[in-house]
Amino acid sequence: MAIEAHGVRRSFGAVRAVDGVDLVARPGRVTALIGPNGSGKTTLLLVLAGLLRPDAGTVRVAGVDPLTDSRGARAVTGWMPDVFGTWDSLTAREVLLTFAAAYRVPDDVARARVAELLATVHLSEYADRPAHVLSRGQKQRLGLARALVHDPQVLLLDEPASGLDPRSRVDLRVLLRDLAGRGKTVLVSSHVLTELDEMADDAVFLSAGRTVATQSVHDAVTTRRPWRVRALSQRGLVAWLDEKGVPWRTDEPFAAPAEGAGGVVVDLESEEAAAALLRDAVAAGVPVAGLSPATGALESTYLALEEERR
Amino acid sequence: MSAEAQPRIAPDEGGAPPPVRHTGSWSLTWAGLRTVAALELRQRVRSTRWVVSLVVFGVVVGVVTTLTFFVSRQMTADMAADPAIDATAGRTMFGFIVFFVLFLGLLVSPTLSATSINGDRANGTLATLQVTLLSPAEIVLGKLLASWLASLAFLAVSVPFIVWAFATGGTAFVGLLTTVLMLAVVLAVVCAIGLGFSAMTARSAGSAVLTYVAIAGLTVVSLIVFALSVPLVSGEERVQVRSEDWPGGEVEFDENGRPLEEIPCVLREEERYVTHTERTWWLLAVNPFVVVADALPPAAGSTQIADPMTGIRYGVRMARLGVEEPLNECWSQWQDWEAEEQARRDRADSLGAVWPWGLAFNLLLGAAGVALAVRRLTIPQGTLPRGTRVA
Repeated sequence: MAIEAHGVRRSFGAVRAVDGVDLVARPGRVTALIGPNGSGKTTLLLVLAGLLRPDAGTVRVAGVDPLTDSRGARAVTGWMPDVFGTWDSLTAREVLLTFAAAYRVPDDVARARVAELLATVHLSEYADRPAHVLSRGQKQRLGLARALVHDPQVLLLDEPASGLDPRSRVDLRVLLRDLAGRGKTVLVSSHVLTELDEMADDAVFLSAGRTVATQSVHDAVTTRRPWRVRALSQRGLVAWLDEKGVPWRTDEPFAAPAEGAGGVVVDLESEEAAAALLRDAVAAGVPVAGLSPATGALESTYLALEEERR
Repeated sequence: MSAEAQPRIAPDEGGAPPPVRHTGSWSLTWAGLRTVAALELRQRVRSTRWVVSLVVFGVVVGVVTTLTFFVSRQMTADMAADPAIDATAGRTMFGFIVFFVLFLGLLVSPTLSATSINGDRANGTLATLQVTLLSPAEIVLGKLLASWLASLAFLAVSVPFIVWAFATGGTAFVGLLTTVLMLAVVLAVVCAIGLGFSAMTARSAGSAVLTYVAIAGLTVVSLIVFALSVPLVSGEERVQVRSEDWPGGEVEFDENGRPLEEIPCVLREEERYVTHTERTWWLLAVNPFVVVADALPPAAGSTQIADPMTGIRYGVRMARLGVEEPLNECWSQWQDWEAEEQARRDRADSLGAVWPWGLAFNLLLGAAGVALAVRRLTIPQGTLPRGTRVA
């Protein structure tokens, strides 16, 4: 029931959009597909969705090869493209019912399912309004409902969070966690990395059409990364850090530590190290106001990979 | 996208994927067809000023029909109340209106289908349909059905006027039925051609232009090429000629100028200027106007070619007959011109109707358009048409 891709290549003329991608997305987990613009995320998703034929490599979607059994693969796959349109003159409900019919969902099942999906993406009140009155974020949510209309085993989402307001992003996260909890295989591409930290279980990093790293988010959390410490007295904090021999830096390198509240950045090995630091600081009487990761777990991996490429 | 220089990798490295079997491309169900057609009609009917277009279309056809009616009445009134002339006037009006409706139909139909596939691709709605369980054939034929139904709406608006022209006389009822049917089929073909072009080209403006060029090619360019090709198939040739062998000496004539004694006819090979239209008649046959005209049964019991539809019918059939060897130049044996013409027309008729050829060719074009569109919509796609994205 997983998504598997091995050695996938795909060129458009002279441009090698995907140039050797290996990827496994397991059921019950949300897998993030991360990479800079033009790294081949969308092309890879098109191959996985069965729209594009790879030049080389093998693809299995829930055990089905979209090359040899296109229909079988389409039946179990839900795909949401990064850019898509809707039929402006149809209402949100009609759009979803049309897709349910296109996926051969029986009529009575479809009606209930569509009503349920509209509620899930908070579009019930727009159900019978033409799609052209929907805002960009609402269309995005309609697109997500469309990808789910046939209850697919595998979900391929290309930048699903773009254009969504903060509330909808939270809803998206809850929805995807819920789908993964029900054993679905979810592959999400995004470059909003902080979001993926809380949503994804695994991450696949693409660069220039290749898989450059595969990491579980748990591992990313336990790797060395910068943390921000904030105290009511910046000077007191710095003095304590110097005493403990912990290297620190401030956002403005040449400014003297302030008397009042302020923060510094320290590099810590893991969350355990962060907990230890906090405990020691509090025990030593440093008025700590906060300790949090300065960058997201995936972001630091991503930036480290970017560093390596330069 | 980084453009680092990398060693060229052979495409088969890492195992070439197995050859793709497009087994499902042509699978077709009524449910799938209906889903696509309903979607298309809803989307396009609601988004365009559909009713307005239909009303304008109806008004234009109505005005032209009314004018034609008065003109043909004028013609009939000027002449004696001869039923043959009445019939001719009725058939003339019928033919004129049918051609006018066909002309407008050829103009209107491509606007619906010629932007259907590349328009959806540009709107980002095509790929989302392709990944559903709809087969490419269901998408293409559903779109064809929708645009054909829309064209038929225009035809339906003009049917009352065609019936009015029919009621002025001269046309058999079966002729009315076959004509409307033929118009409907020609509109379907035009829709299918438009659909093929819209699958082939990236921009909807391009496919619309190509479709109109194709229609112009069928209707006008073919006619021009036929006319221009006449000198190419004409020339002095040695042909079999049956000609009179005038005896030497005196021949006596009656008061009509006919020789009293029988002049023998002999077969000779002589040089004559002939035009082999039997080699180029198909240029006329592919014309939708010819198809419609040729399929209309001639007026019952009439030996005259007085109306344009019958004129076109026999014009093309005679062209198909072409040069009849031996050429008959035994003038003195001719009973009368009309009978000779009738005999020649009967011989042309005996070759069979022209419209099945034209219709078959047009249907083939339409089928090619559909097949091409299905091929283009089959996923997973290997090569993309230039300038297009998948999604």
